[in-house]
Parts: sequence; structure tokens; C-alpha cells
Amino acid sequence: MDRNFYSDDFEQLLKEKADQFRMYPSKRVWHSIYNNLHPSRRWPSAAMSMLLIISLLLTGYLNTSDNSITNQFVKSSDTENINSSQSTQKTGTQKTVFTNTKHQQLPNTGADYVAKAFTTTESELLTYTDVKTPDPNTIDATIQNNQKEEQFAVENKTANSDKDVFQTAENTGKGITQVIDTYIKTNQIFVDIANANNKTKIKISTPAANNTKEEEFTGADENDLNKTGNEKASTKKSLASPANSVVSNKPVAVNENSVVKKDINLNAKSLSPEEKAWIDNYALQNKSRSNKWKDKLDFEFYITPAVNYRKLTTDSKGSATPFATTGDINKFISQKPGLGVETGVGLSYAFAKNLKLKTGIQFNYTNYNINADQTNHPVLTTLLLNDPTTGYSYLASRTSTISNAYNSSALQPIQIHNRTYQISIPVGLSYKLSSTNNVEWFAGASVQPTYIFGGNAHLISSDLKSYVSDPSSISNWNLNLGFETYMNYKLGGYRLQVGPQVRYQVYSTYRKNVALIEKPYAVGLKVGIIKGF
Amino acid sequence: MTEELMLSGCIRNNATAQEALYNRFSPRMLGVCYRFAKNREDAEDMLQEGFIKVFTQIHQYRNEGALEGWIRRIVVHTCINILKKNKKFADSVDIIHATSVHVKEEMIPSIMQAKQVVECIRTLPLGYKTVLNLYAIEGYSHKEIASMLDIEESTSRSQYTRAKAMLEEILIRKKIIQKQRKRSDFYGAVSPS
Repeated sequence: MDRNFYSDDFEQLLKEKADQFRMYPSKRVWHSIYNNLHPSRRWPSAAMSMLLIISLLLTGYLNTSDNSITNQFVKSSDTENINSSQSTQKTGTQKTVFTNTKHQQLPNTGADYVAKAFTTTESELLTYTDVKTPDPNTIDATIQNNQKEEQFAVENKTANSDKDVFQTAENTGKGITQVIDTYIKTNQIFVDIANANNKTKIKISTPAANNTKEEEFTGADENDLNKTGNEKASTKKSLASPANSVVSNKPVAVNENSVVKKDINLNAKSLSPEEKAWIDNYALQNKSRSNKWKDKLDFEFYITPAVNYRKLTTDSKGSATPFATTGDINKFISQKPGLGVETGVGLSYAFAKNLKLKTGIQFNYTNYNINADQTNHPVLTTLLLNDPTTGYSYLASRTSTISNAYNSSALQPIQIHNRTYQISIPVGLSYKLSSTNNVEWFAGASVQPTYIFGGNAHLISSDLKSYVSDPSSISNWNLNLGFETYMNYKLGGYRLQVGPQVRYQVYSTYRKNVALIEKPYAVGLKVGIIKGF
Repeated sequence: MTEELMLSGCIRNNATAQEALYNRFSPRMLGVCYRFAKNREDAEDMLQEGFIKVFTQIHQYRNEGALEGWIRRIVVHTCINILKKNKKFADSVDIIHATSVHVKEEMIPSIMQAKQVVECIRTLPLGYKTVLNLYAIEGYSHKEIASMLDIEESTSRSQYTRAKAMLEEILIRKKIIQKQRKRSDFYGAVSPS
């Protein structure tokens, strides 16, 4: 029978406590629900994402629109430091959050106090707080046997502080019950004291204190009364201004078998936005720390087949400017986009709700094709180069066995390939535009410092009739920008990532002394797999 | 806004009424989701799915029983459906001999009262806590749980028994309840031992 009682009570306890528990969802949840229920009104999300992508593309384009080879240095700009200080203490309706719990033993008693100390408003307390106080018998015994009293000196601390919540000071001349009362009121926590027997009566007289607000109510929750049978319940709560770490002028009288219960019928609307925000923050702060970083960190592997394009321009100065009369040089070259590929591994860290920082290492193979003709014998031709010291262009003699397809002297059609092999370290951000249970939609951009460790370059001659093969003209260092939008699909413990990507090379493929400026870009479809830690 | 107004507004797909209903019930429902979920983010995803179902099916609500109870059942079923999509869940809930699973002490935050109890429940292995949540807190029978989770009824019973034992151990260790099994223990403070 006892067992049944026990079992029922245990389940009742669980149900009761679980029902009391509330959390306040972030605004994102309602926005997602709203967007889902009213799809016709979700244009701002799509428009914003398009705006983001366009602005990123535009920024990249404008920053690189100057085709001057001599302008191949990364411009540094002043950065603005934004100092964001988080003040967690407020005056007036001050809330101080303590996230640490202390187990302190009263000297000579062995009484174990488990106390969670944080100052809150009534509503917050109703949701989260509870204090387990020692058995009053023990308190009495402590008073009688030791005549030694203690005081908890409560420190006002900021949220997330890991310092002690309260300190014990001996021989301060205050009664132990007063000490508890002080502690309770100072921390604005409801006290849940239940006596185990009928002996204990604690009478408390506390010194008056100014500026201490206190209110009383009686009558426990009806259900609670039912559950406790013939137990008489008297309920008391005290609210004190957090700013006042003083003892209330009204004592907390704990009657026999008294139970201080919180009002579980809390109306959420009684909470102010500040209080809700605090509760949100509290819930977030109290998430399990051990796996926090793991939850936010993802490993990804991806591969991106891409089509490579290029834009060819010239940069010449002085009398030797043969391209000046030709206009758009691309019109005199027969070229076809080529297939390239990008593959890499990376880590992403969700440092905000919808924002991920991504980095990793990736390999790129770029390629585009040029239609040309093979000549029977080497021909003498010239390349337009820039003198790095004077900045003026000059013609340098070269030999060539490849003729431009536009050259009527061509003999045998061939296709030549300008290729590069690159290693880069992309660093970027991804923004979650929307998500459902299994699908997430992201837009992202990255900066990719790049090292080009190999490849081949065919440069058009100054007379546009021949191609000169010159791999040494490729600059080893470059900078690329990546823009992408992709969907993540949850597949068990993995996520499949699919989406289009654009990669744009900021600086010319060729070294500064080459009067040709080649800026390739690639459009590809990124396919990746993501695994959390 | 009264419940009737909210209901009629929600049936008409009125955003204001929907938001009012959401504001009224979401804190408690998120608490429900949080007990099932791995973390707060997952809980919010569950809540989102659940409320979308609530709003899309609200015309089926017949005023039989409390609205909160109706919403709660939808949210719980949504949580279970989301959990069932995870292979880990299927493994976890079907393993009867999972008693060797140890709960790490540091994983149990020392937060008082409801939050503390909920956090203790959340430290249980996935299968245990799901069955415990459904049986002890949500009030489903083992038969219903077996049907919901696609497991045997006996499995549900054994999972619950073990879950309860493990939770008791955690609660005792955290001094939320006492070892002495008396009725009054659950409503009183823990005496220092």
C-alpha cells in the first residue's frame, strides 16, 4: 500500500512539477509559424535574401571594378569597433541572475543548504525558483545547541557570474531563521518550506528595513491542498527590491507543516517584455554546457562541379598599346566555358541563432577552353608587357605554334586550355533564411585567400594572331569571393547540402607585368554533406 | 482576448488571433517540447511544427475538453513524430537492457523546483525519458504509448519502470526527494542527512 502511495505520489510530483515548467520561445518560432500560415506575406524574407545576395555580389564587383594591375593590393580600411557591453544589472526593476549553486554547510550542524540564488520578479520566480531549506528541527537544534548564528551575505552579482552566490559569516548576531529570511528576501525567492513533523515552530522577528516591499497572500493552490490531505497550508511570498539586500520588516512565519506554494496559474501576460527576455536568457544560460560547442559545430565535406567563365581586359600605358584600337578584346577570341571543380572540407560554427561562421580548406581546379589552330612551325610574335618600374607597356618577342582561330593562316583546329590548380582557405558567413523541420535554407558569402600552385596559361599576342604558352605568367597568390545559397536536408544524423554557388576571382590571373587582365568566375552546384559533432 | 474569440479568429486564419493563442499557450507547450527534445533549439522546432498543426487543424476542435489539452496532445504527437524520424530514437526506445546508462552528475543543473525536475528528466536516456514523459506526465497508457512509438506494450512498461528508478536515483542524489519513502517527503524540504 505504501508502495502504491509512493508510486502515485512520485508520479504526481513529476506531473505537477513538469506542468509548472514553462519556457518562453524566441521570436523566430512565431515568425516561422506566421510565415508558414501566411505564405503570401512572406515576401520580406525572400526579398531580403535576394537583397543580401545582390548586395554581396555588388560589393564584390564594385570592389574589383578597378582593373589596374597595380591596384592588386588589398585595401585596408578602418574598422569600426563596436563595443557592446552587456549590463546585466539594472536599477529600479533590477534583475540579477546567478547561475551558480552553492552547497554550504552551516558550522556544527552539517545542514546542507542547497540554494539557487538569483533575484527575479514574481513571475520569474513562479516559473523557475525553489529553495530547499533545511529541516526546521535542525534549525532549532542549531540555535539551541550552538547559540551560534550565521548570516548569509548576499552579493549582488551579474548574470552568468560564476562567483559564489552567498557567503556565510559566523557570529553576526542574527538568528539562523533571520538569516534564512534575509537570504530569501535578498534574493527574492519563494521559499518552499515543508516541515516533516508538527513540532517545529519558528518565530522570527526581523529588523525593519526601508524600501522593502513585501506582500502577502494566503491560501495554497487547491490541488496542493488536496494532495497534502489534512495538511494545512499557509502561503506567503515576499517580494523585495533587488537593490535592497536588507531584511524585510515583516517576518516569514513558518507554521507547522506549512507549505509555500507558487501560483501555478500564472498568466503569461502579466510578464513584461523585459521579464520574458530575462527568462529566455536564463533558460539559454542554463543549457547544458558540456555539449554546447558540439551542438554548434558542424563538419562538412563538399564538391562543386562548376562552369568556368572569364572576362579578359587589357591594361596598357604608353605608345605600345596595340589593343587600344580593338575595343573589346573578347570579340577576337573564340573561347568556350570549361568545366572545373571545387572540393573541400570545412567547419561551421553557429555563433548566433541564424548565423554560422565557416572556414576550411578547399581545392579548386579551374579551366576554360580556347578554340585555336596549330601552326606547322613556330612563328615569331610579341606579348604586351608592362614595365614594373616605369609602368609603361612594351612589346616582348616570343615564339608561338598556336594561332588564334580568327587568324586566316590557321591550319589545324585545336582546343587549348587555360587551367589553374588552387588551394584556398575560405572564411565566410552563412545566414539561415528559413527553416522547417527537415529543411533549412541558407545564403552565404566567403572570402577565399588563394594559392595557385600550378596551371597553364595561353596569352594572346599583341597582334591578336597567336597564343603564347607561358605558365610562369600566372600569379601565385590571389583572392576569390564566394557567394552561395543552399538548402540543408536532414538525413538521419547527416544533412545534405545542395545549392548554387558563384566564385569570383578578385585579381587578375596573371602577374603585374602582363598587360592582359583575366578575371575568371565560376558558376557551380554545390553538393555537400554535413555532420555534427 | 477570450478563448472563443481566439478560436473563431484562428478558424478564419486571423493572424492576430493566432498570435494571441500562441502567446497564451506557447510557454507551457515549449516546456512540454523541452522535456522531449535534445536541446532548446530542437524544442523550438518541435513547438513550431506543433503550432502549425494546431492552426491548420483548429477547425477540428469541437470544444470537447480544454483547448489546452487539445493543443497539448497535438504538440506531444508532433514531438513523438519528430523523434521517431531519428534513428537513434528507434534504437534507444527499443533497448530494454539500457540500465547500465550512467547519468553524468555535471549534466544535471542545480536549478530549483520545476526546472530542476524537468532537467533531471531530460538527463535520462532518450527512450526512458520519452516513455516516462508520456506515461507519468502526459497520462498516456502503456497501450497508447506502444502504439505511438511502435513498440511492444511490455517494452513500454519496462522502459517506464527503469526510467522511474533511474529518475528516483537522480532526484535523491540531487536531494530533491529523500530516500525515505513517505508521502510527505515529496512536498517538503529535504532534511539534511
